[in-house]
Amino acid sequence: MSKGFCLLAQNNSTVDYIKQAYALAVSIHKFNKDQNVSLITNDEVPEQYKSVFDKIITIPWTDQAQETDWKIENRWKVYHASPYQHTIVMDVDMLVLHDITHWWDELKKRDLFFVSNVKNYRNEVITSRHYRKTFDENNLPNLYSGFYYFKKSETAHEFFKLLEIVMINWELFYGKFASNYYQKWCSMDLSCSIVSKILDNSLEITDPNSFITFTHMKPHLQSWHEVPTKWTTVLGSYLTNDKTMLIGNFLQRNILHYVEPEFLTDRIVDRLELL
Amino acid sequence: MTQGVLLFALNNKDVDYVKQAVFCAKKIKYHLRLPVALVTDNRNYLTKHFPFFEKYIDQIIDIPEAHTNQTKRFLDGVYAIRKLPWKNHNRPDCYNLTPFDETIVLDADYIIGNDSLLNCFKLNQDFLIYRNPTDIASTLRKIQKFDRISDRSIDMWWATGFYFKKTPFMKMYFELVQHIKDNWPYYRLVYQIPHSTYRNDFSFSIAIHILRGFQLNPNWPITMPGNMYMASDADMLHSIDGDKLSFICDYTSSGGYYVGVTVEDVNVHVMNKFSLGREIDKDKEFAYE
Repeated sequence: MSKGFCLLAQNNSTVDYIKQAYALAVSIHKFNKDQNVSLITNDEVPEQYKSVFDKIITIPWTDQAQETDWKIENRWKVYHASPYQHTIVMDVDMLVLHDITHWWDELKKRDLFFVSNVKNYRNEVITSRHYRKTFDENNLPNLYSGFYYFKKSETAHEFFKLLEIVMINWELFYGKFASNYYQKWCSMDLSCSIVSKILDNSLEITDPNSFITFTHMKPHLQSWHEVPTKWTTVLGSYLTNDKTMLIGNFLQRNILHYVEPEFLTDRIVDRLELL
Repeated sequence: MTQGVLLFALNNKDVDYVKQAVFCAKKIKYHLRLPVALVTDNRNYLTKHFPFFEKYIDQIIDIPEAHTNQTKRFLDGVYAIRKLPWKNHNRPDCYNLTPFDETIVLDADYIIGNDSLLNCFKLNQDFLIYRNPTDIASTLRKIQKFDRISDRSIDMWWATGFYFKKTPFMKMYFELVQHIKDNWPYYRLVYQIPHSTYRNDFSFSIAIHILRGFQLNPNWPITMPGNMYMASDADMLHSIDGDKLSFICDYTSSGGYYVGVTVEDVNVHVMNKFSLGREIDKDKEFAYE
């Protein structure tokens, strides 16, 4: 049975998401043996990036994110575009910093799995609800689409068919299912949570006690008293030759959702390549 | 295996740490019944002003007179501030200085009020150190500044009180603390410590973080047995009556609003050294030794 990682990336006017996808793919390969990584994009992929992807796939159908900058509108298509029977989907502003090959065995027990607990850079479970007020106010499942898994299956197919409808008609669905603390933009996290609520399947597709998690670097999640706009302005990052990533002097042995594009300097990318 | 308590007393012109150490040793003798060794750079002052010291201090460990350019802001309540020399550079030497195989090291301004520290010797650990002190006015205020060495940095551990065994691992630990102290301008920047003043709590915390492999680790080190109560230097010790200590505590962020707090039979770190000195002088039992 084929399995692999699928990454969707579309550059916008300010951020080179293809470069981020490349760095993520490099990190997956450096820390995990024999993994497949596919990139879904309509953008030009530089020649030097291509070797880390076993497939580069065109975004199916039309590009629904042509007019927008956040490029969220095509995310529901990953299920349909994935060449694998078992797929892990990750946001591209992430790095895999340890061996997660054993996660496949855990994930394969389900048709669909979303992370629902995340950690801060100190590896503490995040309890802050700063960015989750809409979820709490509307009793929505606490899903993080930064890392999720699906098996090509009837259950997953049903989920992503409904996700397409929710994301295309997000204002209608957010108004109906997330009217309290209304979010004025379409997001994958909120859309997936609404789909899960409609299908009433949150117990099947997530587990808050799961070891499958990632480190989320949004600043309000770091249990700081004085919260900066960006974590990169207040914490140093070091990637050493022995595969050690330190952020703010804390060892990172998780999946790192670094959020801020400026974190991914050429120096970090060079270091990743040399690991 | 020899067991005992090691105290440090290095006076500056305004704070009589030797007096505090003798008082601390008296409390140790009463509650813990352990040998006490005092590290000081002024044996003459001790013998002249506290001729009865041998009742409480079993051994004096002389060190060369400490000179430092380092100063610290000492509060005596909210409004009285004095900037004084702070001679705190010998703490990393305690591995070599202690005459004991198993040592409890305490600040001289740590007032022992019970025997909970005797459990240090029963826990079969190389190293125990205080982590989260209990503010004596915790129901009135939340002192966040002591949870980490700075807001975005690592956990704060308190060199105010710790226990160690003489083992190769602990030798390495204290050598690392010494290295951090020797390279303080570098480490304080890396660990985001705003003030340039060297502080043992910080170097001990950094060494712990490094030896934990730069991770949080609930298994090492273990915290000292019992609570360490803490009165900040904005608070004032009002009276000592046996093991009952009464304080006037500042309880507002703006400062200057006080409430009375009394604690009994607990171990208290009295950070207002001036009020501690005054109250020791008033302690009749101590004054007429």
